Amino acid sequence: MSESLVLDVRNVTKRYDSLEVLKGISLGLNKGETKVVIGPSGSGKSTLLRCVNHLTKPDAGEIYLEGEAIRDANINAMRARMGFVFQDFNLFSHLNVLDNVRICQMKVKGADKKTATHRAQQELARVGLEEKASAYPAELSGGQQQRVSIARALAMDPVVLLFDEPTSALDPELTGEVVRVMQQLAAEGMTMVVVTHEMSFARQAADEIIFMENGHIVEQGSPDAMFSHSDHERTRAFLNVIADHG
Amino acid sequence: MPEFITFGIKWLPELLKGVPITLSLWAIAITLGFFLGLVLTWARVYGNRFFYWLSTVYIELFRGTPMLVQMFFIYLGLPRFGIVFDAFTAAVIAITLNSAAYQAEYFRGSVLSVPKGQLTAARACGMTQWQAICCIMLPQALRRVLPQWSNEAIVELKFTSIAYTIGVVEITALASDIGSRTLDFFQIFLWAGLVYLVLTSSVASFLGWLERKTYVPGVTNV
Ligand SMILES: Nc1ncnc2c1ncn2[C@@H]1O[C@H](COP(=O)(O)OP(=O)(O)O)[C@@H](O)[C@H]1O
Ligand SMILES: [Mg+2]
Repeated sequence: MSESLVLDVRNVTKRYDSLEVLKGISLGLNKGETKVVIGPSGSGKSTLLRCVNHLTKPDAGEIYLEGEAIRDANINAMRARMGFVFQDFNLFSHLNVLDNVRICQMKVKGADKKTATHRAQQELARVGLEEKASAYPAELSGGQQQRVSIARALAMDPVVLLFDEPTSALDPELTGEVVRVMQQLAAEGMTMVVVTHEMSFARQAADEIIFMENGHIVEQGSPDAMFSHSDHERTRAFLNVIADHG
Repeated sequence: MPEFITFGIKWLPELLKGVPITLSLWAIAITLGFFLGLVLTWARVYGNRFFYWLSTVYIELFRGTPMLVQMFFIYLGLPRFGIVFDAFTAAVIAITLNSAAYQAEYFRGSVLSVPKGQLTAARACGMTQWQAICCIMLPQALRRVLPQWSNEAIVELKFTSIAYTIGVVEITALASDIGSRTLDFFQIFLWAGLVYLVLTSSVASFLGWLERKTYVPGVTNV
């Protein structure tokens, strides 16, 4: 029943000139589900996430959020309901942490300052950074910046969160703090699509792992099924490479 | 030295009558030039080919010709088509149009230096393009451009003196007038230079203060 899906991606395609980056991807998430997307570099994972909220416009296919199709006409309202966490954080450099978490609430949802501040403080506490409220992004470590960007997304009360390799730009010793926040969100029932190569996270928090290659979904299944007895040679080979490096 | 002082006591009050004219000419032109410069930048960075082309031609034209020629053209040339301005207005227009071209050049560099990912992040949370520009791009671009912009503002303050050539009664015009009356061009232009120096250094220290006041770590490298 597609109506019960929080996020329903149907047959999305995207090409850049002669390069077909997404060759018809479908993906559905029920409320509270976490799906982890893995796959080699260049397989189309970022493009898929960016197509979901139309940061990149798909050539064909439909995306439904809580049963409502994303259109040009409703794009900003729809994006406000989808949090996006970028690989390189993209915090607003001229705003301190508190303002980073407040600004979208105020500009997009029209929240008044008091409400936005309260909400921002809640989310900063959730990611363990309430005492950094007045710091600027340049004064934070990468892990702290990424946690602020998660708080920024959460403060909008999103129905789904999209993560594009949230730990890939971090020094290895800083990935843990971000992964823990994501694990906590998954456990609390947040609906999330996470592109990551953090296999510990995938194993522990994913309801389903999706393996992408060359713009296709090659295989998808529970972490158990994927890690222990994947039918696909390609998936096994990829997981071996990840296991060796990660 | 005492002669220089007594000359100053006698003629400075008259010379200083030019200060409000010089300052208002400058302030109006630099402000209008600021907004026109932003429009030109917008046309160059976000506009379609037509606007890009128009803005580029404008900038090259005004940077490639002397401001004095532009001012003469506006004040003395345009009346042929029935377009007549008083001297002050003509000077404001000339300095505005000229300064806008330079400001646009500086703005463009600073606008392009704002990390694109931050604008994407703004759009991703539901901001319109206009909101992303106003709330995210401009506050950073303007901070980054401030050192160059201050330089431009001070250059234009000195350039207001050429309005003297079309008859605007500003500091240089008054100095020249007092000079012909006293026949002491040496002393009066020394005084005029001093007055300009006080104005430019006041503006410079105000803008320096503004730079420190708006400083945010990671946005500008001070
Ligand atoms: N804006 C773009 N223009 C042209 N090609 C692009 C663009 N964005 C992505 N691509 C290409 O699409 C392919 C998939 O990219 P991406 O979705 O970033 O992969 P992944 O995130 O899985 O590494 C790559 O070959 C990449 O070079
Ligand atoms: Mg990617």
